[in-house]
Amino acid sequence: MRPILLSGHERALTQIKFNRDGDLLFSVAKDQHVCAWFSHNGERLGTYKGHQGAIWTVDVTPDSSMIASGSADNTIRLWEVKTGRLLKTWEFPTAVKRVEFNEEGTQLLGVTEKRMGHLGSIVVLNINPDINGEQSDEKELTIVCDESKATVAGWSYMNKYIIAGHEDGSVSQYDAKTGEQLENLPIHDLNMQLTDLQWSNDRTYFITASKDKTSKLVASRDLEVLKTYPSDTPLNSATMTPKKDFVILGGGQAAMDVTTTAARQGKFEARFYHKIFEDEIGRVRGHFGPLNTVAADPTGKSYASGGEDGYVRVHHFDKGFFDFSYEVERERQRAMQQ
Amino acid sequence: MSNNKARDWADDDDLDETTSTELPPPQTIQNKDGTKTTITYRFDEDGKKVKTTRRIRMVTHREVVNPRVAERKVLPKFGLSEKDPKGPQMDTTSVGENIIFRLSPNWKRDAKDESKDANANAMKEKLKDKTVKCRICNGEHFTARCPYKDTMAPVGAEGSADPAAGLADEEPAAASGGAGAGKKGSYVPPALRGGPGGAAAGERMGGGSKYGERDDLATLRVTNVSEMAEENELRDMFERFGRVTRVFLAKDRDTGMAKGFAFISFADRTDAVKACNKMDGYGFKHLILRVEFAKKAAT
Repeated sequence: MRPILLSGHERALTQIKFNRDGDLLFSVAKDQHVCAWFSHNGERLGTYKGHQGAIWTVDVTPDSSMIASGSADNTIRLWEVKTGRLLKTWEFPTAVKRVEFNEEGTQLLGVTEKRMGHLGSIVVLNINPDINGEQSDEKELTIVCDESKATVAGWSYMNKYIIAGHEDGSVSQYDAKTGEQLENLPIHDLNMQLTDLQWSNDRTYFITASKDKTSKLVASRDLEVLKTYPSDTPLNSATMTPKKDFVILGGGQAAMDVTTTAARQGKFEARFYHKIFEDEIGRVRGHFGPLNTVAADPTGKSYASGGEDGYVRVHHFDKGFFDFSYEVERERQRAMQQ
Repeated sequence: MSNNKARDWADDDDLDETTSTELPPPQTIQNKDGTKTTITYRFDEDGKKVKTTRRIRMVTHREVVNPRVAERKVLPKFGLSEKDPKGPQMDTTSVGENIIFRLSPNWKRDAKDESKDANANAMKEKLKDKTVKCRICNGEHFTARCPYKDTMAPVGAEGSADPAAGLADEEPAAASGGAGAGKKGSYVPPALRGGPGGAAAGERMGGGSKYGERDDLATLRVTNVSEMAEENELRDMFERFGRVTRVFLAKDRDTGMAKGFAFISFADRTDAVKACNKMDGYGFKHLILRVEFAKKAAT
């Protein structure tokens, strides 16, 4: 497996996202532009210029026409994918740590930071799917997190719930229409913040990553913990691979401790776990710093990881990856054929 | 360029012939095995002509993509990539080194085995041209396994020029046997030690009591010694009872701190007995010494 290294950023990566067709990859870092890449050969399609601060988050609409990015300059910006044109800027009192489109791309949620007397909140914005149409300034909904600020959030299946992960290690479920909190469960260890939340294909369950060194698979409907993947390092990101039942975890010693650890000990590796058996089945080395974000190609052909070292590495899986199965899986397959 | 350069007579004629202003046209040869050979010429920065021969195999790789994807593939570039030509650019995209990525259900165990193996191999490699030598008796075994490790000081330590000296003084036969056993590095049962003197040795063993077998040896084992203790302090303390032939204080090799035990050899056994009685329970550097006659570890 030969990774493609994308060195379009000058600072630590914060998030990477594939579009639904898996041909484009969007990356954001603490420098001030969003990059769009072709995932198959690592060619850079372009950059989206306009942000005045570190960019924390990016998301792309299901039809790959628009992307939204949230930044430390207190704005969410909406861009046209094809041309890099800025479509809309929404201003907030504090930095935006997370954005996510809903399943249809008609609404966008943003998670704002708790700072300067402002509480952390989750805002929902309506998106006009017409690329040249007027985008509304109005916030459809604002959920204020008065207990512990939200760090990550996303839309569940049918846009029924908004699921948010908090700084104190809990996960809460809100009604996406009314913003009412339905559930709040301590999924991860107390005060170990959630660092990532990514959805399964049908959004009925999601995977969380936390600083408590575990990653969990949680059901959207009742926040039941389905699976737990323990690791030996604080995790920054977790994703699920389509086609194969694997999860990929990324993490590593926090950046400020890195100078005291050797690269080998820093555990800057992407870890592969079997989604169902919860076993660790392999690791991929390569980054010189902690992995801040991992993303799997929705077509299942590749995955990408972005590190504190400023590189995005796109890995296209070999045949061996797709052939791998457990003995029980092979047995079952044989039984099915007969 | 060769026109305005003065020609050196030493220049290769061949070279000169080819450093003419025009280059031969690139050639393309179709090979039998389906590959193409292209030969191109260019000038390098020294003005020398460079011939490049490339053999190319063309493989048509057909990929069916979604029309949406196909449409996006031909999008014009924008932003910082606006001026980039088609294809991946060197400054933003590079190919990393190959990673061997093999999935395995017992990945952890495999990885561990590998590292263990690596360590073991490294150790073996290190010790390949080294023979094991005991620091106490010079035998071919590890110091930690030396039969004399509790009674003898390491070779080179004060008063231990001959490791078996203590034994050798009055019972040469037995002592040489003992030393011999140490050198061979294998265990020799007490009954067989010392060859002809074996019987005597056996009898001595049979004597049993830990003082009895030490008739000849006036060595005391001192335990519960403070970490801060120094050899000369011990010597001063024990010299009050008679002539001390050797003091050995075990020290940690890395830290230099005392390990907490010492051996004191007296010239005269009666002095040793006196010292043993007097010094057992003596307070030294906040610790209470325990003094007894040294046991022979091997037996």
